[in-house]
Amino acid sequence: MNPFFKNNDDFQTPQWAKGLSQEGKAAFLGIGLPTPKTEAWKYTKLRELETDDYEFAPLADKGAMPKEEFPFACAKIDFLNGQWVKTSNLPQGLTIKPLSEAFAQINQIADIQNYPFAALNSAYLEQGVFIEVAANRQIEMPLVLSYHTIPENRNLLENIRNVIILNTGSQLDLVEYYSYTGEVKSRYLVNQVNEITVKENAQLNHYKFQNEAYKANHIALHAVDVETAGTYKSFCLQKGANIARNETKVKLKGLQAKAQVDGAYVMNGWATLDTTTDIEHLFPQTTSSQLIKGVVGGDAKGVFQGKIHIAPNAVQTEGTQLHKALLLSDTAEIDVKPELEIFADDVKCSHGAASGELDEEQLFYMQSRGISREDAKKMLIDAYLEDVFARIENENLRAWFKDLKQNS
Amino acid sequence: MTTPLLEIEELHARVGDKEIIKNFNLTINEGEIHAIMGPNGAGKSTLSYVLTGKPGYEVTSGSVRFKGKDLLSLSPEERAREGVFLIMQYPVEIPGVPTSAFLKQALNAQRKHLNLPELDNVSFIKLLREEGKKLGIDSDMLKRFVNVGFSGGEKKRLETLQMAILKPSFAILDEADSGLDIDALKVVADGVNSLRDEHRSMLVITHYQRLLNYIVPDFVHVFADGHIVKSGNKDLALELEEKGYAEFVKER
Ligand SMILES: Nc1ncnc2c1ncn2[C@@H]1O[C@H](COP(=O)(O)OP(=O)(O)O)[C@@H](O)[C@H]1O
Ligand SMILES: [Mg+2]
Repeated sequence: MNPFFKNNDDFQTPQWAKGLSQEGKAAFLGIGLPTPKTEAWKYTKLRELETDDYEFAPLADKGAMPKEEFPFACAKIDFLNGQWVKTSNLPQGLTIKPLSEAFAQINQIADIQNYPFAALNSAYLEQGVFIEVAANRQIEMPLVLSYHTIPENRNLLENIRNVIILNTGSQLDLVEYYSYTGEVKSRYLVNQVNEITVKENAQLNHYKFQNEAYKANHIALHAVDVETAGTYKSFCLQKGANIARNETKVKLKGLQAKAQVDGAYVMNGWATLDTTTDIEHLFPQTTSSQLIKGVVGGDAKGVFQGKIHIAPNAVQTEGTQLHKALLLSDTAEIDVKPELEIFADDVKCSHGAASGELDEEQLFYMQSRGISREDAKKMLIDAYLEDVFARIENENLRAWFKDLKQNS
Repeated sequence: MTTPLLEIEELHARVGDKEIIKNFNLTINEGEIHAIMGPNGAGKSTLSYVLTGKPGYEVTSGSVRFKGKDLLSLSPEERAREGVFLIMQYPVEIPGVPTSAFLKQALNAQRKHLNLPELDNVSFIKLLREEGKKLGIDSDMLKRFVNVGFSGGEKKRLETLQMAILKPSFAILDEADSGLDIDALKVVADGVNSLRDEHRSMLVITHYQRLLNYIVPDFVHVFADGHIVKSGNKDLALELEEKGYAEFVKER
């Protein structure tokens, strides 16, 4: 029996989601859970997910939710165990609605036939929000989506779906923040899909911090359409979870549409942290740039799969991709799969990957000035990640991410 | 009254399988400047790394005492905090680490060790500006990453600045003049000389006599085949300049 459907009866599909749920379930059962033979998942093994027995939790006690403090002024939406519980400080120009009022937009961008976890997400559709920025509105304050889990001893399955639309000429900084309290050994699964549309001349800066409990799992798909001269920029810092995948699929669907997909991961223990990207250049003069940097210690494994696709008519496009990892132990591992599919002439495309270790000469130089070996390592790791953090435009958020990398 | 600061006795050390330091003996008293001169490949840099504890440089026998303590049992950072400093022949570039942050970390590590309060940003920047000015190091240079894109002269000036800030009781200068023109050499030598006092000692390693015109030593030693083969005063340096090292280098 499929582990994800064992407790199926406990889940009450809301009326509005029934059709989508049936489609999702059929698609998921059709594709099945990825195996080591599934090309898109060959480096990230999911066997552990199969043996679990998932539950759909009733809402946890809201009072038990810690007050997350963000060191910058922000609008905020709080989720607890996957459920939307609170909205605060919403500025003009930003509309938040329950998903039930936006179901026509669901599965328009995410392709559930080819993404098994998006199909699963669709099967259990209920939670999430619809976010819309009005045309030509530049939202000054970041909008934080704070997802908190109080798993207790249960293997919660949290399916979250957000639909995010930036209308023509609008701009938003969106921050997704994941945290938990309580039982650290819980094997809950956050399975999220964001469907994002960036319309003409609009810009979304999308930030994410993933710091789930160390046995938890986290799978996220960001499906993004970018229209003419629109810009989608993202930065994801991953530190937590046992198995985590942050997957970004961008379609550049208009002239001069732009994408920047960046990430950093810092990991130890037994974790597998997967960053998967797929950028489709469908129009001329579109550009994309990716910089992903990892620091891997212990027995951990970093995975990067990055695809750049350039369609036959997409001339004068530019796509660059670079993945670099620092290995801190002999048992740390990275697996990298870059893919370029270029069907047009007159394009500039490049990809690169490198891995290395901390430099003994540099460590000794620092130690010979009185800096402890531990501090020297920290400074070199910071230095290693410096360039990817430097690409975070918003200064407050840049400082905040540097702090999260260090202190959380 | 002389107080020994550094006492090296019957030191043997190797790099990999190769014994480089062979029965090396030297005592340096407080306030003294000793020069070590020797041909390329004699093991001068190796000696400086053995004294500062670089991994891969293995002491096989002998002892080194510093202020009476067993220096060899300390980690590189502990040696530094106790007051040992090395101006490296080839200072290391550290991309991504700003020079001023690096210096602050180093100074505060030392102050913590000495039970002094850490310096805050304001007092640190003030100190850095003052000391930097003397060596012609401006704040732009301090914002750059450690040694990255620095000219040979800038690297050596930065080494000297670190010495001025950390105020070690014992400094080793390994070919501090290599790659420097005469003006840059004077700046570095002035910096070093201004730190001379009756307690601070130095070991000046050089292949050429030139540097010793500017940093005048109390003693000069000839280093060949892993140990000191001849000692004298500063005139020995002039003699070596004239005759070369031929008489000290074994026939191959
Ligand atoms: N890291 C090393 N690995 C192997 N051999 C080394 C290393 N460092 C120095 N040596 C060897 O040790 C000898 C002494 O080198 P070095 O101390 O640099 O001499 P000097 O500074 O007097 O020119 C040389 O023969 C050199 O090749
Ligand atoms: Mg040398």
